[in-house]
Amino acid sequence: MYELRAVTKHYTRSKDTVQALDGIDLTIPDGDRLVIQGPTGGGKSTLLQMLGGLDRPTSGRVVLDGTDLAALPEARLTRVRSESIGFVFQSFNLIPTLTAQENVETALVPLGVKPKQRREQAAEALKSVGLGERLAHLPGEMSGGQQQRVAIARALVKQPKVLLADEPTGNLDESMRDEIMDVLERMWEELGLTFVMVTHDSAIARKAPRLATLRKGRITVKENARA
Amino acid sequence: MFFTYLRRELRRRRKAAFVVASGLALGIALVIVVTSVSAGMGRAQDKVLQSLYGLGTDMTVTKAAAPAASSSERPRFRFDAQDDGSTGEQSSDRVMVRGFQTLASSTVGKVDAQSGVADAVGGLSLQVVKVSGAFTRGRFEQGAGGGQGRGRGGALPSPQGRVEGGGADFDVNNYSVYGTDVTKPALGPLTSSKITSGRTFTTAETNAKVAVADSAYAKEKKLKAGSTVTIKGSTFKVIGIATADSGDAAANLYVPLKQAQTLAGAKDKVTTIYVKATDSQRIGGVKSEIQKNIPGTTVTTSADLADTVSGSLSTASSLAASVGKWLSIAVLAAAFLVAGLLTSSAVSRRVREFGTLKALGWKSSRVTRQVVGEAVVNGLVGGALGIALGLAGAYAVTAVSPTLQAQVGGGGGGEGFRGGFGGGPGRAAVTKTLDVALTAPVSLTTIALAVALAVTGGLIAGAFGGWRASRLRPADALRRVE
Repeated sequence: MYELRAVTKHYTRSKDTVQALDGIDLTIPDGDRLVIQGPTGGGKSTLLQMLGGLDRPTSGRVVLDGTDLAALPEARLTRVRSESIGFVFQSFNLIPTLTAQENVETALVPLGVKPKQRREQAAEALKSVGLGERLAHLPGEMSGGQQQRVAIARALVKQPKVLLADEPTGNLDESMRDEIMDVLERMWEELGLTFVMVTHDSAIARKAPRLATLRKGRITVKENARA
Repeated sequence: MFFTYLRRELRRRRKAAFVVASGLALGIALVIVVTSVSAGMGRAQDKVLQSLYGLGTDMTVTKAAAPAASSSERPRFRFDAQDDGSTGEQSSDRVMVRGFQTLASSTVGKVDAQSGVADAVGGLSLQVVKVSGAFTRGRFEQGAGGGQGRGRGGALPSPQGRVEGGGADFDVNNYSVYGTDVTKPALGPLTSSKITSGRTFTTAETNAKVAVADSAYAKEKKLKAGSTVTIKGSTFKVIGIATADSGDAAANLYVPLKQAQTLAGAKDKVTTIYVKATDSQRIGGVKSEIQKNIPGTTVTTSADLADTVSGSLSTASSLAASVGKWLSIAVLAAAFLVAGLLTSSAVSRRVREFGTLKALGWKSSRVTRQVVGEAVVNGLVGGALGIALGLAGAYAVTAVSPTLQAQVGGGGGGEGFRGGFGGGPGRAAVTKTLDVALTAPVSLTTIALAVALAVTGGLIAGAFGGWRASRLRPADALRRVE
């Protein structure tokens, strides 16, 4: 469970100070599926970075299962990321020189999983997203949808508690978008993980059980009765 | 994963990798060529010095400079005018000590007794001038108007006429003879030659009438083992022919020291003492010891002699030492810098990739290791290329073997090189010109240096890139995605 209390984040660019997050209070229970919407520059990605332990707030607390990520030393934070948090990015962020299977394996490397077991787990994860036949393909040899599925397999292979997705369908056409959303929803249901997704896509937002909107660093959360 | 990732990345960025490796290769090849050519120069110089000194000699001791020799020491030849009709050949030998300066034989023992001296041996360098030929007297021819009456005053008339015919036909043979201590064959000028025919002296032949001839002189005079030569009336049997290892030989004929002393009338005298030091690192100390304890001597070490080497060998040597060294350093520094900057810029282009890995939980050290690993492999590839290039360069130099000329003992430093270092008689500075072929021997040390440089280059490049990668924050990397 996430508990964010009075989280602020300032960026200083040249002489100006940008207030990306302005006193965020937010609770995300285990197994929740939260969609974050808002205009560009509203602080969506910054909030996701706080949740993922990729950046630290200027002030406030970001507590995951009782641990304040904001106060953790870098080495511990790195371990939390490697064990508990899975990321899916808008641009897939696959290593272009590694095959689908090797890309998925990169998530198991920091956990010290033995190579043979790593390969097996990666193959299994790729099968679960429907890419069992594409293990040896390089990212450049796959469609956008397939690449994002590899990224989802990479995020989920270590069985994290949390899945954070930053515009996961932002670079995909409509049919691919539906395909990826189907995979993500299925995984969320099957694995029972906490799923937080940033999106611009209203169609996706409408389906979310909880919808948060970030504007000028401030958040409002509402339950979605239609979902 | 480390090696798979590394291999794939190097393959993907092979052009950049090739540029980095080529830069390093060029620098390393230059270092190999310059180092090996310098070693070749050293060898050539050693060869030059060896040809003068003989093998194993660390220094020579000669008599210190004295006032100019008196005119009485100039060679003088006397020939008799002969009777009418006589065409008999006359000859006269003059044997002179080269440089006219000698040391007492006892000095050899004194030098040998100095601390740091392993062995000392004396030698007497002589110059023989042989003039031989026939002298014919002129004839008096009476003039046509001779004996005509008496002159005024009643005096007897003088015979009128002139001397006609007569003359001289003399051949001058000028050659050098070296009196060598046959009891110590390991030291002295004869060690710079190899016996190519016959044999050398035995240690028992201290006063035997035997001689070893230099091959060039033997060819000129048609001498071979078994022939005889006459020096100042004494007949010597040629027992062997010696060929100089490089350059000119120290003398035309070598005879036992005692015989040389007898020929020159220089009993118990030597011109040069050849000294071998116990420790080649202590030559300077031994030199000052001898000069301090045995006054009136000049000690010349190989280093002193090396300073007097001039000509193209010396020019090339200083070029290799200065220009070559600095050029290698400049190219290497540039190659290291370019490798570092290219690696750093490659990391900048992969910010998202490394940021993603950090987001996945890769430690900074693991990411840095990956970057450094790639740079070191680049360095090693550059090193391998550089070694191949350097070996090819060194091989080419050795194959072409450019001839360098070395002038030794020229300029003002001649006084110390009299006698033992060849040259003509008299007090003038002696200049000796030798041709030596330049080689470029590549030692294992040079290869080890090249490998060390390659690894250093890789580490420097890796340090640039690794530092850049370690400073990346996962959030910084992902922010660029937007």
